[in-house]
Amino acid sequence: MAVHRRVPGGELRDLEEQTPVGEIFLGALMRRQLALSLRVALTLVAVLGAQPLLAWLWPGYGRLQVFGIPLPWVVLGAASYPFMIALGLYYVRHAERIDDEFSELLEP
Amino acid sequence: MTSPAAVLGLVAMLVATVAVGVFARRFAHTTSDFLVAARAVRPAANAAAISGEYLSAASFLGIAGLVMKYGYDVLWYPVGYAAGYLVLLVFIAGPLRRFGAYTIPDFAEGRFNSPVFRRLAVGLVIVVGLFYTLPQMKAAGITLASAAGVPYAAGVGVTAVVVVTIVAAGGMRGVTLVQAMQFAVKLFAITVPVFVLLVDFGSPSGAFTAVAGAQTASPPGPVTVPVAAGDEWQVAQPVTVQLDHRTTVRLLPGAVPRASYVGVPQPLPPLTGGTVTALASGDRLPAGQVRWEQTARVGLPAGAPVPYGAQTPLSPTSSWLQPFGPLAGGSGQPLLFTYSLIVAILCGTMGLPHILVRFYTNPDARSARRTAWLVLVLVGLFYLWPPLYGVIGRLRAPELYTGDLTDSVVLLLPRQVAPHLIGDTLSAITAAGAFAAFTATLSGLLISLAGALGHDIYGRWLRPDASGPARSRAFRASALGAGAAAALLGLLVENFDISVLVGWAFAIAASSFFPLLVLGIWWRGLTTAGAALGTAVGGVAATLAIVTTMLAAASPELSALLIRSSGLAVVLAQPAIVTIPLAFAVMVLVSRAAPRTPAGVAAKLVQLHIPDRLGLRRDYIPD
Repeated sequence: MAVHRRVPGGELRDLEEQTPVGEIFLGALMRRQLALSLRVALTLVAVLGAQPLLAWLWPGYGRLQVFGIPLPWVVLGAASYPFMIALGLYYVRHAERIDDEFSELLEP
Repeated sequence: MTSPAAVLGLVAMLVATVAVGVFARRFAHTTSDFLVAARAVRPAANAAAISGEYLSAASFLGIAGLVMKYGYDVLWYPVGYAAGYLVLLVFIAGPLRRFGAYTIPDFAEGRFNSPVFRRLAVGLVIVVGLFYTLPQMKAAGITLASAAGVPYAAGVGVTAVVVVTIVAAGGMRGVTLVQAMQFAVKLFAITVPVFVLLVDFGSPSGAFTAVAGAQTASPPGPVTVPVAAGDEWQVAQPVTVQLDHRTTVRLLPGAVPRASYVGVPQPLPPLTGGTVTALASGDRLPAGQVRWEQTARVGLPAGAPVPYGAQTPLSPTSSWLQPFGPLAGGSGQPLLFTYSLIVAILCGTMGLPHILVRFYTNPDARSARRTAWLVLVLVGLFYLWPPLYGVIGRLRAPELYTGDLTDSVVLLLPRQVAPHLIGDTLSAITAAGAFAAFTATLSGLLISLAGALGHDIYGRWLRPDASGPARSRAFRASALGAGAAAALLGLLVENFDISVLVGWAFAIAASSFFPLLVLGIWWRGLTTAGAALGTAVGGVAATLAIVTTMLAAASPELSALLIRSSGLAVVLAQPAIVTIPLAFAVMVLVSRAAPRTPAGVAAKLVQLHIPDRLGLRRDYIPD
């Protein structure tokens, strides 16, 4: 199935040939990556999703102001973007770290 | 309305697009160069190109117009468009690049070994793609109408011809330079005018203070608006009008009926009853509804609340500025409406047919992730600005409410606000930006649609043994057919909001391809039957719900039924909140009921997830 680009070590061959040991390695990697993805996605959903609920439960939220601009406009229309960019950066760094640790573990 | 400067802006953009395209193509020699830029594009250039294609007319024109019309609630659209990219980044960017599938049908077939599933995915790509061309066509129609003064239908037709020609002549897709340039043009064209427009107020906070200072939208100076026979107004407070000639109107004095909602705001029903009277210059229009029986030019006084067109809900500033204003609030189910909108946009981005293909130009998963993150940065930078046009439009060009022209606010505002020469220059800039927006997205969509029709339906299904030149002819014919279909459908949607149309394309994509991609990448137990059934059920359910909403605009009985049950109406108009869980449930239950995973699933998961540097990767599409 896979192309041999290097002489693989034992675990790497397990992965290539989908032995039970390889399956365990693959499963562990997928679980770590998925846990990271879900953590980031749930943070995003919680922070965005809290805003309609907040406005619903507490109508006074819409009347708060910062620098003469209604607070909900500032939070959603401006602060959302740096928040999402920071969250994305967190994800990229951690996803790369998980990949790197996995590679170092397996590289011969 | 015609502005020579704006026409100049359009023409300059067209010439620049073609010139950069020709220049860049000289460096592209092989098919692989052309399609995927030889997979060696650096993340920054690639991110600019992806943003250039992603920022469509809905972003450039639609958001500002919708903010002007409905206020705060609309901010969910740009935030959702950006957040959708974050969702794409965390769930699919890296694995899909490793897998090497660069369209959803490729993924469906590659992951599940099923040509039947591929056909299903091709069908859904065509549905989503056509839905997404509608708002682009509407944007093209109003841009050319406001810049060159041609009728809406002519604007749609001209744009279809231009884009089909570009695509059929060889396409811009894959020409990173063109798309990156288009991002730069759009960012420039949205930011520069807004700074000039803000000069009057000193800062955004000055503009917000001015908006909050008045309960109604009133023009700062006298304005003249054209009316045609059959145009209807909602007059909240009596207003004295100047006319260029005596004319007849049908008046129905009294309170203006509340805007009706069938999940989304609906135009008022046509005015019947009332009295037909002659109206002379200097007469007062009483509060109530007005139907113009003849063409005329109507002068409105400075400082008086403007009448609203029949398509635009009357809303006091206090509700316009607050959450659950005229968009979500009137639906009867504000929370349900807001959450369903958020879910659709968040999950729909990755399912748009023209989005995934560009990720394939990254050399590996690591740069695919970095590229997706940079796209988030670039689109975030862009989305800060369009809402400000809506806010300033409410202050400086409220007569757009009268003509139901809020979707054109980005195009029309500069001339209304700035002195002559500056206003003309700025309107040339925004017209060029709008042109870049709808041509970039339309050509990306047409390539995806023509690819699905020509490559899949013709090349794999009807004539698997067709020769190379025959395939090229099929691709060109498909581009022509898709362009013609998009133009014809585009003629029907003049009265729909651009961003509402976009929301529908996102809802269908979110209900079908989002569950397919996420479970297909992360869940070993997903079977071919489960994936195919879930994709079909979600996509069909969302499409039916949206078509029902569109029909309600034409059928009073259906509309009356839906008005009585607002929860159902909201779910039909914004189906994602129900149809996404439905698609996931079907996938999981069917897979569990008959757990026959496709052959070689472990090898596929190795391809999707094992880091590139271990050297196990094999591209699905060979060089």
